[in-house]
Amino acid sequence: MTALKTHLYDEHVKLGAKIVPFAGWDMPVQYTSVKDEVLAVRQNVGVFDVSHMGEFFVEGDDAETFVDSIVTNDIKGAPTGKAIYSPLCRENGTVIDDLIVYKLAPGRVLICVNASNIDKDFTWIKSKHQGFKCNLTNRSHEFSLLAIQGPRSYEILKPLLNELPDIEYYSVYESAFEGESVIAARTGYTGEDGFEVFGSHETIKALWQKLMSLKVTPCGLAARDVLRLEVGYPLYGHELNDELNPYDAGLGWAVKHAKTNFIGKEALAPKTSKFKLVKLILEKGIPREGYPVLNAANETIGVVASGTMSVVLNKGIAMARIQIDKVPSDEVVLVDIRQKPYPAQITKKPFVTGGHK
Amino acid sequence: MATNIPANLKYTKEHEWTLIEGDTVTVGITDFAQSALGDIVFLEVPEVGTNLKSGATFGVVESIKSVSDLYSPVSGEVVARNSDLEGSPEKINEDAYGSWLIKVKMNDAAELNNLLSAEQYQEFCNSSH
Repeated sequence: MTALKTHLYDEHVKLGAKIVPFAGWDMPVQYTSVKDEVLAVRQNVGVFDVSHMGEFFVEGDDAETFVDSIVTNDIKGAPTGKAIYSPLCRENGTVIDDLIVYKLAPGRVLICVNASNIDKDFTWIKSKHQGFKCNLTNRSHEFSLLAIQGPRSYEILKPLLNELPDIEYYSVYESAFEGESVIAARTGYTGEDGFEVFGSHETIKALWQKLMSLKVTPCGLAARDVLRLEVGYPLYGHELNDELNPYDAGLGWAVKHAKTNFIGKEALAPKTSKFKLVKLILEKGIPREGYPVLNAANETIGVVASGTMSVVLNKGIAMARIQIDKVPSDEVVLVDIRQKPYPAQITKKPFVTGGHK
Repeated sequence: MATNIPANLKYTKEHEWTLIEGDTVTVGITDFAQSALGDIVFLEVPEVGTNLKSGATFGVVESIKSVSDLYSPVSGEVVARNSDLEGSPEKINEDAYGSWLIKVKMNDAAELNNLLSAEQYQEFCNSSH
């Protein structure tokens, strides 16, 4: 299968980006230095091309009711203009994907899903759609998407758009760039303040070029992965997959049992999990995906789901899946790095506190 | 791809450089390698006294997002390791040829025939990347 390219591909190549295959797409992994890109987002402002992600629209009288019925988080109870993060589960409670629901207007909902899961999600959601008075459309191929992230993102973006009020974090506003409509959401995957801007390919390309002229740092997938790990956000295919339920990934907070009904409600009612997703911090050594996690008795009790060197802390950090009954009470485990055990501390707090509102 | 390849050194296809002085071989990674890896954040090299085998892995260099094995250009015993570098591996990014990793006392000078000249390495970099 030929890899897909976003409409900004040539822009990335022009900037000298290193391109790698990701979820069926050829995507920029880094432009100059992962470290510089991470720090740009933590301290200033950076922009990511995330046009590979999927956009589904649900429109009609039952739009909110329908979306509420398929995801675990509370959609109906949230006001119009809100963005809501949620797992999408099967009847047995396993996670199909994690996504963001944007309540654009009464009877008009945008769902943004992971690139790797677009077809799986759409097929699933369509199969549950019968009987609801709303249209469901997969418009992923019509949209490009930029994530403008960092403490200066509002200051940079506000003058570029027709109108952009200082909306709350996790809310959404429909605006325009150079006369063309865009959807600006105050969301992101970095823990910093920032916006995700959806628009037509041409509009987003013009916005990208404008941001480049304003010296906003272009950032690649590598920086994005470090940034999300530093604030402890899960990534589908790593912390989440088809075999796990939301509790296995620490997402119980996004399962609202008070809702009348939603797919997976019965299976998830006992709120049980086989695993605990923990954050690990190492004084020495860098944990990587797949490395075994051991207890003091040298018994394998889990696995690293994602790991990296933290740019901010300059220490190895990881999210690891540990068997629920094997989490050591002293919260110290060992990560097996090339057959050598490196001590790791389990930490409750995010490794880095992002500056989002 | 233009890259810095000093003429006085010999190279491997695994992107290590070697400086040969008598039977002592100083080993580092090339400018091409450091550039491909990006920000280097972790280095693991063997203790003095470790015996290495030509072509076998002897250590690891890690960037923020990747792990790469280091391959020994010759067989022999590690006689020195650059322990300063472990605390500041980013020096490899700044000066790949000034940042040696280990010195090996080689067993078999014939193994040097397997190494690439600067021109051959340049050609190898051009053709394979």
